Amino acid sequence: MPDRPTTQSFELQALLDAAVDAVILINHTGIIEVFNHSGTRLFGYSPDEVVGRNVKMLTTGRDREQHDGYLARYLQTGVTHVIGTGREVLARRKDGSLFPAFLSVGRIAGSEPPRFVGFIQDITRHKQALEAAQHESDRANQYLEAAQTMLVVLDRAHRVTLINRKGCEILGRDESSLLGIDWFDAVVPSEQRSKAVFEISAVAGLEPHQPHYTEYAVSATDGALHLIAWRCVAVQDATGSVTGILCSGDDVTDNRRADEEATEARERMMHVSRLATMGEMASGISHELNQPLTAIANYAQASVRLLALPNHDLGDVREALEQIAGQALRAGEIIRRLRSLVRKRETQREQAGINELITELNSLTRADARSSDVRIILKLAADLPCLSLDRVQIQQVLLNLLRNCIDALESIPAGHREVIIGTGTTAAGDVFVEIADNGAGIAPEMLPHLFTPFATNKSQGTGLGLAISRTIVEAHRGRLEYRANKPRGAVFILTLPDERGLTG
Amino acid sequence: MTATPQPTVFVVDDDDAVRDSLKLLLKSIGLAVMAYPSAPEFLAAYRTEQAGCLILDIRMPGMSGLELQQQLNVRGAVIPVVFISGHGDIPMAVEAMQHGAFDFLQKPFRDQDLIDRVQKAMERDAASRDQLRQLGRIQERLDSLTARERQVLGLMVLGKQNKVMAGELGVSQRTVEIHRARVMEKTEARSLAQLVRMTLQLEHRSE
Repeated sequence: MPDRPTTQSFELQALLDAAVDAVILINHTGIIEVFNHSGTRLFGYSPDEVVGRNVKMLTTGRDREQHDGYLARYLQTGVTHVIGTGREVLARRKDGSLFPAFLSVGRIAGSEPPRFVGFIQDITRHKQALEAAQHESDRANQYLEAAQTMLVVLDRAHRVTLINRKGCEILGRDESSLLGIDWFDAVVPSEQRSKAVFEISAVAGLEPHQPHYTEYAVSATDGALHLIAWRCVAVQDATGSVTGILCSGDDVTDNRRADEEATEARERMMHVSRLATMGEMASGISHELNQPLTAIANYAQASVRLLALPNHDLGDVREALEQIAGQALRAGEIIRRLRSLVRKRETQREQAGINELITELNSLTRADARSSDVRIILKLAADLPCLSLDRVQIQQVLLNLLRNCIDALESIPAGHREVIIGTGTTAAGDVFVEIADNGAGIAPEMLPHLFTPFATNKSQGTGLGLAISRTIVEAHRGRLEYRANKPRGAVFILTLPDERGLTG
Repeated sequence: MTATPQPTVFVVDDDDAVRDSLKLLLKSIGLAVMAYPSAPEFLAAYRTEQAGCLILDIRMPGMSGLELQQQLNVRGAVIPVVFISGHGDIPMAVEAMQHGAFDFLQKPFRDQDLIDRVQKAMERDAASRDQLRQLGRIQERLDSLTARERQVLGLMVLGKQNKVMAGELGVSQRTVEIHRARVMEKTEARSLAQLVRMTLQLEHRSE
């Protein structure tokens, strides 16, 4: 060492030893002049072991071979690759093991020939953390790309900062054509744009991780519209301020179409069954009205003839006139009791299995039940006898009962709404259908009027459903009854007799 | 056996008002009327030799008009049936016509239409009963023939000569001539042609 330690240099040594980084002073030929405590901690050498030796002993590979060259080039040309910028190097410990380190180098001002000070920081942990983060990010990317859900991240100005492969697939566009551009302008049809922007603005006001659900369509490059069900959450930085929105979306275009088709089929069926009932009723009414009309015509025509007889009996004529009045009133009564004619109409009887009717009906009401979040459970008994019945009418009854259940379950929290449809035979051999829900049940004061026409507790409804249902069931010689479900809810029991052998 | 002397209109309808009004209307025209509220009640009271016609509601609870018509056919009744039906019963009316109904009327109807049909049905009934009576008389005459005379009748209607008949029956021509004369006398036939017609009529009835 060229200089003896002075008070000043003791203070300097204390400063150096307090530093976290290894601090090494070398001269212009690379000989180590100062080596601090952290140097000992990092490299395993005591200062005595390294001071006076070339610094290249602390490094490896290309750096070890060429360190003398670096110094020589600097001294010659003044060009440096390390001074003022620093770089990552591989350092070598006394035991020969290596560790990644960040090296910053400075020239000691005014020293001639120049002397250099180097700061060496062990970056093993930093590197590991970086690698772990990279790994994490790679894996996240893989998930992102493999996801069957569309994932889009927007910044606060609604510019796309990330979109996954599924998103690109649905839109038929490259990632590069979407990144950085306004999402709503680029892919949302203009008529839905303001609604979509409004919906998304709601997300900023939500708690972190609380999702906002919405639905809007995106248009693909081929012009096709895809209806997407979106789940949006706010993206926050470390300080908790919202930096953007992560939206995950499922393409529900096909589901929606299936739902719509099912709804259409159901409406068609309702329409047909209504028409069928109306047609049958019209035929029944015309038959019933014909009777009094015929009598009236006969009495009137007889009266005319009686009066034309030379010695006519006015008593006969008076009686005929009284009959005419009576029959006219009878005709009026028939019209007033329109409903009761369903009972008298000729029905289209055919052999059918009640389970088959229920299964058929269930497929038509599935979409309806799902949209109301109602679970329909079928508990159908095997080997039930076929019944002679009017399919459309009985399905109308079942549909009506099922619709009542679904309506009644509105007051129950979603996820707990259940309808159980069961079938079986009674001890007498009759076939029964039980439709049970776990809704609020029927209020005791409503019970006496349950099957009375125009008595309803629904805001929408004619109050004819159960009355007509019971009339239809009685026309089949069956029964329609109610009992309370346990612990809660309503059960409607439809019983139909097995009439095999009675028809011949 | 006391057949109703006067041809009668029988009415079967389950509807009290329709039945009663029909009865009054037919009476006002001067016809004899008997009315029944159901098919079994009519069947219990009616004997096939009673002349007239039947006005029958096609649609009735229990035994329908169509079933009653079939019962009458089984009994060999000739009484013409006029069905009355509502608008929706055209297919049933067609079926009734196929089973030999005389006519049908849709309710409600004009009195004149009813009277026309009833009168035609009564005429038809009178004609069939007349024919039946004739056939009955022919049958009676044929029944009076001896076994040998019936044999001769069989050969006569086949157009066999006396000589051939004598050979087939193993008797003399003279005997055949006597049998022939007896057959013509007993059947009151004025010619061989009339005799052939009589036997054909009976055969047709038995078909």
